[in-house]
Amino acid sequence: MDFVTSNFETIVFYAFAAMIVFASLRVITARNPVHAVLYLVLAFISSAGVWLLLEAEFLAIALVLVYVGAVMVLFLFVVMMLDINLVRLREGFWRWFPFGVVLAAIMVFEMVWVLGNRRTAETGAHLAKHAANYSNTKELGRLLYTDYAYPFEIAAVILLVAMVAAIALTLRRRKDAKSQDVSAQVAVKKADRLRIVTMQAERKDDQPN
Amino acid sequence: MMELLQTLENFGQNLLGPAWLPLWTIVKIMVIVLPIMGSVAYLTLAERKILGFMQVRPGPNRVGYWGLLQPLADGIKLLMKEIIIPSSANKFLFVAAPVLALAPALAAWAVVPFGDGMELANVNAGLLYILAMTSLGVYGIIIAGWASNSKYAFLGALRSAAQIVSYELAMGFALVCVLLAAQSMNLGDIVRGQQNGYGLLGWYFIPLFPMFVVYFIAGVAETNRAPFDLAEDEATIVAGFHTEYSGMGFALFFLAEYANMILIAALTSVMFLGGWLSPLDIAPFNKIPGLFWMLGKMSVMLFLFLWFRATFPRYRYDQLMRLGWKVFIPLTLVWLVVIATWMQTPYWLW
Amino acid sequence: MNKLINFFKSFLLLELLKGMSVTGKYFFAPHVTVQYPDEKTPQSFRFRGLHAQRRYANGEERCIGCKLCEAVCPALAIKIEVAEREDGTRRTTQYDIDLTKCIFCGFCEESCPVDAIVETRVFEYHGEKRGDLYYTKPMLLEIGDKYEEQIAKDRAADAKYR
Repeated sequence: MDFVTSNFETIVFYAFAAMIVFASLRVITARNPVHAVLYLVLAFISSAGVWLLLEAEFLAIALVLVYVGAVMVLFLFVVMMLDINLVRLREGFWRWFPFGVVLAAIMVFEMVWVLGNRRTAETGAHLAKHAANYSNTKELGRLLYTDYAYPFEIAAVILLVAMVAAIALTLRRRKDAKSQDVSAQVAVKKADRLRIVTMQAERKDDQPN
Repeated sequence: MMELLQTLENFGQNLLGPAWLPLWTIVKIMVIVLPIMGSVAYLTLAERKILGFMQVRPGPNRVGYWGLLQPLADGIKLLMKEIIIPSSANKFLFVAAPVLALAPALAAWAVVPFGDGMELANVNAGLLYILAMTSLGVYGIIIAGWASNSKYAFLGALRSAAQIVSYELAMGFALVCVLLAAQSMNLGDIVRGQQNGYGLLGWYFIPLFPMFVVYFIAGVAETNRAPFDLAEDEATIVAGFHTEYSGMGFALFFLAEYANMILIAALTSVMFLGGWLSPLDIAPFNKIPGLFWMLGKMSVMLFLFLWFRATFPRYRYDQLMRLGWKVFIPLTLVWLVVIATWMQTPYWLW
Repeated sequence: MNKLINFFKSFLLLELLKGMSVTGKYFFAPHVTVQYPDEKTPQSFRFRGLHAQRRYANGEERCIGCKLCEAVCPALAIKIEVAEREDGTRRTTQYDIDLTKCIFCGFCEESCPVDAIVETRVFEYHGEKRGDLYYTKPMLLEIGDKYEEQIAKDRAADAKYR
């Protein structure tokens, strides 16, 4: 019992870490693409848990909100509607295998280099606990809009340009397509469609027989 | 009351030591979840009664006096029914989907303040937490639609997913306006920010009126309620994403939908209608406990939900998307700028 | 200009509020529901419900087996077999109505020259098997005996319009 209470955070961390590793492995090994996406969701949620342990609640919740809540939903959306032929997907596996191994080796090397270096990664340093009223969100906002204002704005502009470009590329008006103009439909008033006519009632003997 | 709780906590702390905290938290969770389940049951009765009254008929009145035992009868019926799992369904996901729909709907209640300090967790980023939890509810629906392996369920799931993702943006922007006004993401602080001694006039629904309307309408869309209930449009896709569900599986979706409705009602009360604050800050009114006001405001919002359902015909899907993207999002963005500018002037009174 | 006015009007949600005021008003309106087993709506004397075979006052069955009803029945629900009785009169040996086929049009009643086959006001009957709704001659006569008073009154009330 004492062991659990004194090492509670470590235990939670390892539980989340194990979950991330398992889920990430399943993302690439799952046969069904929908399962793979759901495992990716699990991996995201577990990493959000790890971030929460680091008192980075803004980032953790933003991860859940943006990636799990929106991006992965759209992913799932697309993957569900695809008709994926697994045999054709696996065709070139052995041909590309060496290339993949080299890429993976480079990534592992880079990670070891960055994380193993005492100057770039302060792995030994314990993070100081903050007071209860410390707001991670406020700190993040302050940093983004003071120290890192220019990089932040530049990143925003790049995203905006990408968005405008994507819209410009897909924007085209087809002349032959028939579509409804919803705003015109909604804006229609009774007077536009209906004309009330007053006329005299017909008498019975007026009617031609 | 508070002293009694404090002595209880101290007693438990001494008795059980470290095991006390999880136990006490579970008790607190039960105190929140069980009344929600009860309200869900009676909200279904209220819905049928109110719809009945608006259609000039009395609604359910056979089970118990005035139909008051109807939810119980419905619950027993759903419990007794056979759970049918379609043979071509993905069994694990099919069973997991209702749970995934219900869990976020209940989890979001953790940060909702029912009174001053009456919340399960006082989280600084409470508003973000709420947004994250409500955005997770869509998984239950999508997975249910996909795992059922039925065209109607799948179409319902796709409609619902696209709808929820679209309206979440408008909802988020409306909440950003609240953040600006309250300068805090803690739901308790948001309510306290609306307390300025003038009662009703201090609430955010006055300066943020368009956002109040947008938030509530987006909330109706987010919970897949009429007139935005295209995910379960019985005229075109049978019952939408829960077409293949029966018995308890269906009941869990039902619970999730109504729990979400109550949640939206609670959030609207907290963000725009002053949460537990009394509408008039004078003697007889501000002596009434805040919980009463909070529940009263929630009931009014829930009545609006049902009133909408009784009044409006269902949207067409393209109109629904147009409303979300072309009306609500621009409107919220404009009002965001208006509020931000307004707050820099001396005319900001809130 | 008109467009601009409409634009702002739609943001005020006036039409939606108008709709809600209608439902809101009816919320307080008295209910029109008839609580069926406790209350019943009034019936016309021309109500077309369960069929019955009538008798004359002396106890003789009216039906003479002319088969007009069988011929006119649009749903082919009536089946009649006829034979001569010992006293030399023409009588039916079989007169069946399949109520699962019957559409309650009332043509049999209209066509009958002796007012033998009639439709009563009874509509609260049921069967637990399909066969239960296949009514034979004794069953129809029994119904006629049971409701004769009511049937006679309804015929009398309708007589002046025929």
